[in-house]
Amino acid sequence: MQLNKTSSPVSATQLLSHLFRRIGVGGMQQVALVFICLVLAIFMQTNYPQFLNPANREVMLVNYVTEGIMALGMTIVMITGGIDISVAGVLQFSAVVVGLLMNAGWPVPLAILGALCASALVGLINAYATITFKVHPFIVTLATLLTLRGVDLVITKGGTISGFPDSFSFIGQSSFLGVRTSLILFLVLALIIGFALKNHRYLQNAYFIGGNRRAARMSGVRVERFIIFAFMLNSFLAGIAGIVICSQLSAASVSFGQNAELRVITAVAIGGASFSGGTGTILGTTLGVIFLAMIANAFNMTGINTYWYDVVIGVMLLLAVFLGEYLKRRKISR
Amino acid sequence: MNTVLRAEGIYKSFGVNPVLTDVSFSVEAGQVHALVGENGAGKSTLMNIIGGIHSLDKGHLYLDGQEVTFADPKDAQYKGISIVHQELSLASNMSVAQNIFIGREKVDRLGFINWKGLYEDTQALFDRLGVSLDPAILVSQLSISVQQIVEIAKALSFDSKIIIMDEPTSALSEKEVERLYTIVRALTAKGLAIIFISHKLDEVFTISNQISVMRDGQMVGTLNTTETTRNEIIQMMVGRHIGDMYPPRSSGVGEEIFSVQNFNQPPFFRDINFSLRKGEILGFAGLVGAGRTEVARAIIGADQAESGRVTLKGKIFRPHSPREAIEQGLCYLTEDRKMLGLFLNMTIRENIVASALRRFISSFGILKDDAIKEESKRYMAELEVHATNDTQTVINLSGGNQQKVLLAKWLCARPQVLIVDEPTRGVDVGAKAKIHQDLRRMAEEGIGVIVISSELPEIMGLSDRIAVFREGCITAILVGKNATQGEVMKYATQ
Repeated sequence: MQLNKTSSPVSATQLLSHLFRRIGVGGMQQVALVFICLVLAIFMQTNYPQFLNPANREVMLVNYVTEGIMALGMTIVMITGGIDISVAGVLQFSAVVVGLLMNAGWPVPLAILGALCASALVGLINAYATITFKVHPFIVTLATLLTLRGVDLVITKGGTISGFPDSFSFIGQSSFLGVRTSLILFLVLALIIGFALKNHRYLQNAYFIGGNRRAARMSGVRVERFIIFAFMLNSFLAGIAGIVICSQLSAASVSFGQNAELRVITAVAIGGASFSGGTGTILGTTLGVIFLAMIANAFNMTGINTYWYDVVIGVMLLLAVFLGEYLKRRKISR
Repeated sequence: MNTVLRAEGIYKSFGVNPVLTDVSFSVEAGQVHALVGENGAGKSTLMNIIGGIHSLDKGHLYLDGQEVTFADPKDAQYKGISIVHQELSLASNMSVAQNIFIGREKVDRLGFINWKGLYEDTQALFDRLGVSLDPAILVSQLSISVQQIVEIAKALSFDSKIIIMDEPTSALSEKEVERLYTIVRALTAKGLAIIFISHKLDEVFTISNQISVMRDGQMVGTLNTTETTRNEIIQMMVGRHIGDMYPPRSSGVGEEIFSVQNFNQPPFFRDINFSLRKGEILGFAGLVGAGRTEVARAIIGADQAESGRVTLKGKIFRPHSPREAIEQGLCYLTEDRKMLGLFLNMTIRENIVASALRRFISSFGILKDDAIKEESKRYMAELEVHATNDTQTVINLSGGNQQKVLLAKWLCARPQVLIVDEPTRGVDVGAKAKIHQDLRRMAEEGIGVIVISSELPEIMGLSDRIAVFREGCITAILVGKNATQGEVMKYATQ
């Protein structure tokens, strides 16, 4: 019995539709994103030749390295159909904790470990609260975000913590083979998580849970346990981002990462993850982060009033969602 | 014969309600065993116990003569019992292969998936089933019937001895049903046992070797299919003689109240012409996908037709939305009551008045609670909705009672013409007869009724005239009392 047509592509349209089937909706969205980034880069490069020189490239990416790290975990959470808006709070919290511990005389590696554990604990609390009380993660993590912000204010009394050992600046300020260490950290994390999300049996559960939670449970997937894992990983990565920013600036302050959660979610959504879960890739997310970084940098360089930045990002987010929906509908109607 | 599964003296209750009482049941290898009974008779509960979804309170399960207990569905699957659920449980964003082998993919030492091995294993399963399907294709690109085959392949991948199919044909066209039969026969030929749950007795008599009948949580009996009749089975199901399933046809019809001319919406339907007279039930027969639902949706303005002339009581009728259609007196009862019909989390009362709220608004825009209460009570009694009271949530009702609430909702909107789409899908025999009577009564009271149904006996038994659809066209309009099933099928297929 022949159930699906496995036609060999002949004409251009057939070739296109074949390609479309191969790479899917997410792939198409990524191709579109790469195209837009290229157009932007070419436009900027012709008008502002310094746009793509090594120094500016580095500034462009390093400015968004913390958002990038957080977006990796957010991708997994959003694939399961969840959301975590507490990441900006965790970032500040992690920066403040690592600063406090170092100033209390803890050795640097131990202080970092302590901050990361504290961050992961926040993820555990988020996950537990959503699962036990069956409250939407948006509300739970909104509560965590506000609470953490308050806690940070209380601890720092609204001020800045600084005076860390020199060795701590290694993470944020040093370079390796001419590339910033923090950027290498992001790339390594993205490669590992990206590969594992695509190919590892355990991480594939994210797609099953987001695609059909009931079916996943019936098939023996430990749904709750995976959601705890996803939220903890997400908070853990936000904790890393907090340490990176603390090291970059040699200080910890509540002003760090204001509205970072919105930029992170925007990057993930532009990269093709849907709010209803089941879709999203690390490649797409990375492209989304690069896109945001380029736009922000372009604004700085052109000297256009940066208030327009949010307008552009907002419109782009809408366009990305429309494109995703359009491609999905086209596929269904075929 | 070789008994693979034997259930003995099964008891189960949910809270204080006993659902199964002393049920015994056995299944033979290489046979199709049909399980029938009204909704709420306990079929699903029994299957859920056999499939490891529910635990049993009392009783024993024997698999190949050995007593077994199941910790969870996964455990039952590994021991050889799989369920293909009515609502398919696949993740549509994932590939066919991943859905089949979820949690059991071949992996290396670090847990990374061996994609080549996964696709090969899937291909081997499809070869065993005799189907050709790309293991890497996403489930979202497959039709419901092919998704069902994927579920069967998944069951096969566990080396199942028994596959339970819960209402497997409810969403299939006749051609797809035939394909399912072919697969079922191939599986039983290899010695598997199939438990086939269905409301459609035609199918049960076509495919099964044995029929077990349940009623009110008890097993009424098991018969060999060749040694029984439909009437005997129906009698066992309801425990009483139900009078004629279908009320007598109308005595006389009045003037034309609704007509459709040259109605077009390619590629779904073209050149549709029919009229409806007062006191008449007009049946829409045809295969799934023949364009009947699409015509109804275009009539009520849920979709826009490309061209055509529709008149209601002599006036041009061209609604731009279902709301406009309802205001002008034309209502459509959907075939998908859970998604498009009812507000499942709201009460019976709220559902009944949902489309007629403007009738219950006093000055200042306040709802008149007393009038609403009275109206919903009246419809509940009239349509025999079985519930403790009208503030019960609709989601907790049986399929038959939900359908009655949906019918009440549209009656409450006081239509002049009512189109009902699959009015008795997933409804038990008793409720079915009642809904048929109600439809006839509405016609007698002067509402024009159009019935869309894929169940041929229902169309034959209910309609005064039958419009037969094929591939988006009306191929014949027959007189109900003279038409034969063969004649309708001929126009529907050729």
